[in-house]
Amino acid sequence: MKFTICPAKPEDCKDIERMIMELAVYEKMPDQVKISHKELERDGFGPNPFYQCVVAEVPEEHMSKDGHTKVGYALFFYTYSTWKGRTVFMEDLYVMPEYRGKGIGKALMATVAKVAKEQHCVRLQFSVLDWNKPSLDFYLAKGAEDLTAKEGWHFLRFHGIALDNLAQEAP
Amino acid sequence: MDFTIRAATLEDCKDISRMILELAEHEKVSDQIKITQRDLEQDGFSKNPFFHGIIAEVPEHFKSRDGHTKVGYSLYFYTYSSWKGRAVYMEDLYVMPEFRGKGIGKALMAKVSQLGLAAGCTQLNFTVLDWNKSSLDFYRKQGCWDVTADLGYHCMRCEGDALEHLAQGDL
Repeated sequence: MKFTICPAKPEDCKDIERMIMELAVYEKMPDQVKISHKELERDGFGPNPFYQCVVAEVPEEHMSKDGHTKVGYALFFYTYSTWKGRTVFMEDLYVMPEYRGKGIGKALMATVAKVAKEQHCVRLQFSVLDWNKPSLDFYLAKGAEDLTAKEGWHFLRFHGIALDNLAQEAP
Repeated sequence: MDFTIRAATLEDCKDISRMILELAEHEKVSDQIKITQRDLEQDGFSKNPFFHGIIAEVPEHFKSRDGHTKVGYSLYFYTYSSWKGRAVYMEDLYVMPEFRGKGIGKALMAKVSQLGLAAGCTQLNFTVLDWNKSSLDFYRKQGCWDVTADLGYHCMRCEGDALEHLAQGDL
């Protein structure tokens, strides 16, 4: 099946919002999505964007059951390792279920990796839920390492009241 | 003990480089450090910096045994959650051993939180090694939660040959 991978435009944000929700449903946490296409438009397009995004699109004749031609996306941003330097973090990688198995996920991830290399990044990092075996298998097959399993890294987070309380102690 | 927390400048890169190495030694991985003072200068103080830094400094009469007044730092950057929007990631938090227990680490972290909230972030994220009990205890006491333990997210990485092959699309 033919498809294209292109940098996202502001008008893609409604489709990205739709697919973010589909991914959250898959990850069993749909109630956790708090942002909409408005925040995506504000934060992704401008002189200092918080993220970059690429979208996979199919021609009209292959549109989805619900009439969509934007069928996958990858959302990523630049980060930094004080050991190794410039890195990229892939926040989301998603392909609508009816379009899987056609190389779209692989092409999206390859695009992110290519952009990373062009910007002299030495690592591509992301996170996966431990029960998500299809995704874990997909990534491990591409040479990714599971740093939590291998080295014991844990993600920690402050949010809500704990974050407010912490900020109030700033000198 | 008196100390100040301020934004890092280009001139601080020499001390940041020194303290990055000290932190790597504490994490038992000092042979992993590939970046230099020059990389920090280029990547942190250009038009589109990959990171931001804050420094903890003590007055001359409290300088360290080795004569340093810059005794702690935190290195952070802005990221994006497709569920919650703007976020801040704290890559490093470090205080020289002889200056611990004086509130410097907490002040650095509080400052990152304050800056993050001011920029519209709703999360402060970071990672900790599961064997690093003293750091885990410190963070838990401040009210953070362990996303890996609670939700099962694993940190994944592609680098070296795996990243090359991914970028070239040959998998």
